[in-house]
Amino acid sequence: MVDEYIIKTTNLSKSYGPHMALEDLNLKVLKGATGLLGPNGAGKSTFLKTILGLIQATSGEGTVLGHDIRTQGAAIRARIGYMPEYEALNPDMDAIYQVRYSGELLGMNPIVAMSRAHEVLQYVGLGEQRYRDIGSFSTGMKQATKLACAIIHDPELIIADEPSNGLDSVAREFMISTLQNTVNNGNRSVLMASHLMDDVERVCENIVLLHKGKLAAQGRIEDLKDIDREIEIHVWGGASKLEQAMGVAGLTVRREGRIMRIQHIGEDTTTIILKCAAEVGAQIRRMHEYEASLEDLFLVIMENLGYEVKSSEDLLRHPVKARQVDAPEHLGGGAA
Amino acid sequence: MTDVEISPSPAILPSDVSFDIDTPVKGQGRMDAAWGSSEGDDDFSAQVAQSQETTGFVFEQVYQPWNGTLNPRWMRNWAILRHHVAGIFRKGHRPWSIPTRLFLVVVFIASLADVGLTLLSALIGNAELHSMWGVNRDNLYGHVLGFFPRNVLYFPIVAALLVGGVISEDRLHGTSALYFSRPINRFDYVMMKYLSVVIIQAMIVLLTLCLYYFSEIISMGRGWAWIIDTFPLFLGAFLGGTLLIITYTSIGLGLSSVSKGKFFPGIGLIAIVLGTKTLALIVSQLFDRDILYLLSPYDCLAHVGQAIIGTQSTYDQYSWTWSLASLVIINGVSLYVLSSRVSSMEVTRE
Repeated sequence: MVDEYIIKTTNLSKSYGPHMALEDLNLKVLKGATGLLGPNGAGKSTFLKTILGLIQATSGEGTVLGHDIRTQGAAIRARIGYMPEYEALNPDMDAIYQVRYSGELLGMNPIVAMSRAHEVLQYVGLGEQRYRDIGSFSTGMKQATKLACAIIHDPELIIADEPSNGLDSVAREFMISTLQNTVNNGNRSVLMASHLMDDVERVCENIVLLHKGKLAAQGRIEDLKDIDREIEIHVWGGASKLEQAMGVAGLTVRREGRIMRIQHIGEDTTTIILKCAAEVGAQIRRMHEYEASLEDLFLVIMENLGYEVKSSEDLLRHPVKARQVDAPEHLGGGAA
Repeated sequence: MTDVEISPSPAILPSDVSFDIDTPVKGQGRMDAAWGSSEGDDDFSAQVAQSQETTGFVFEQVYQPWNGTLNPRWMRNWAILRHHVAGIFRKGHRPWSIPTRLFLVVVFIASLADVGLTLLSALIGNAELHSMWGVNRDNLYGHVLGFFPRNVLYFPIVAALLVGGVISEDRLHGTSALYFSRPINRFDYVMMKYLSVVIIQAMIVLLTLCLYYFSEIISMGRGWAWIIDTFPLFLGAFLGGTLLIITYTSIGLGLSSVSKGKFFPGIGLIAIVLGTKTLALIVSQLFDRDILYLLSPYDCLAHVGQAIIGTQSTYDQYSWTWSLASLVIINGVSLYVLSSRVSSMEVTRE
């Protein structure tokens, strides 16, 4: 049976002296596209270095594409394509030679590497620019060249560190669509570390969220969004009464004038809202579900969730309680 | 523009309207002539822009899979070595600067001066010229370890130009990630870079030494007896040259590994080689104390080289073994700095 997980870690920890960079990470990353999120210092870079087999974990274990991260780093790096965050290109070389060299460094025959360099540069949209020196490239073209270097050997997993960082809208759109195409049509997996939530949301189905070296959340984006599902209503007449009635009925309401957002607690949330409105005689002129963006989700999890809540199932099981854990006092924190 | 659905137009112009030389076109007549008085009122034909063709793509993004096999470690190491060495000769590999390449050519030709003069002395049969430039113990020493011009103008500058950016530019451009995100370990990375620089210097120092020795054999028709007699000297000079290349490379790469540009390592190497030599010379002249020569890589090499080849020593206040020990320490410290700095090179962020 083929393992559906491309990355698995069990109690993975890495410490630099007294500082715990990673703490008891239990991850399972599925094939496909996964976003690696976390604020600065969350442990993303340490995690990437650990799964690349470049640094030894202090404790715990893990596999990437079935290879042990502690003992088979070289085998892992031969099967993945890494696209670093910063330039990582020699500005005095032509793109074609840089990409060919990156293939040769993987063990490709020079002639094969050259042939393949033409293919991948065509794929990333630099077919006509391949004999230009990289120093004359725009940021978007450099990013595309890095992607070409990463995919020259057709890796099963592409690790892209901030692939759309610093790009203008056109270049960013192209990079995102190229990654999407690589996942959907190329049937490759992508682990994408990024601060740009929109990009992660467009490319990835799953996310892994790190915070202070710990796993804050992992799972499908759609599932995780349920923790921040709200219903938005526009009320005409009797808004205060309706707010009060809904509070009595056990709903959590946020109000801004005639617009209210009610936390989704179950399938009958809308029924309760309508019942309350009928009781107090308020008119609901508009009602729709408010879907949180990934950025909203990220903020909610970062600000309000406790670190011990690790999966979307956990988050969904006790969303309100989870919101209170470790939250600032003015948001009702300290309750758990 | 193209016509679509053109239907026969009804009478565009009234029958009584005519245009000839006596009837100038103006006013209503001009309007009728230009547009037709009833066009578009009764029929639904129109002129529209031709629709965009949908066939054909300027750019079609198709992911091409690759099913080849990656070669083992030696092939990856060969790629690093080839990248650096072949870059001296042709485009497509490491882009050495034009001044560096030009200087290498100039030094290579200049290092062949004794070859040319040996050939000349054989050609014209001038014994005096041959005694000055032909192969002998002192000239073999001089070819690799002579101070002026080779160890002032040639070899340290060649080493400085070569080692300057070999590692520091990987830090500067972040290209270290290109290596370490591949199945290349740090030992292979350093070793191949080290060997690349050694090979390029060897073309200048050792290849010209070999050419010098063989030119003597060919031009003077030397027999086996002469070869057996002088070959140990040649080997001694070869060993001395090898030590020189290794020492300059170790110091240079050590400096390259601690910086983010090629200027500091290059100028640092020249400063160390020539600065320590100058300082020791001044102290020796003023106080008649030679001990500071132990700090000078060049003087240590020269002292050891004199001992190996068997020429008269110019360092008579201490044994050549002190110089050898000093060389070992200099190389050891340089390699320690090199290895510790390379081991700290990052793949994710510098």
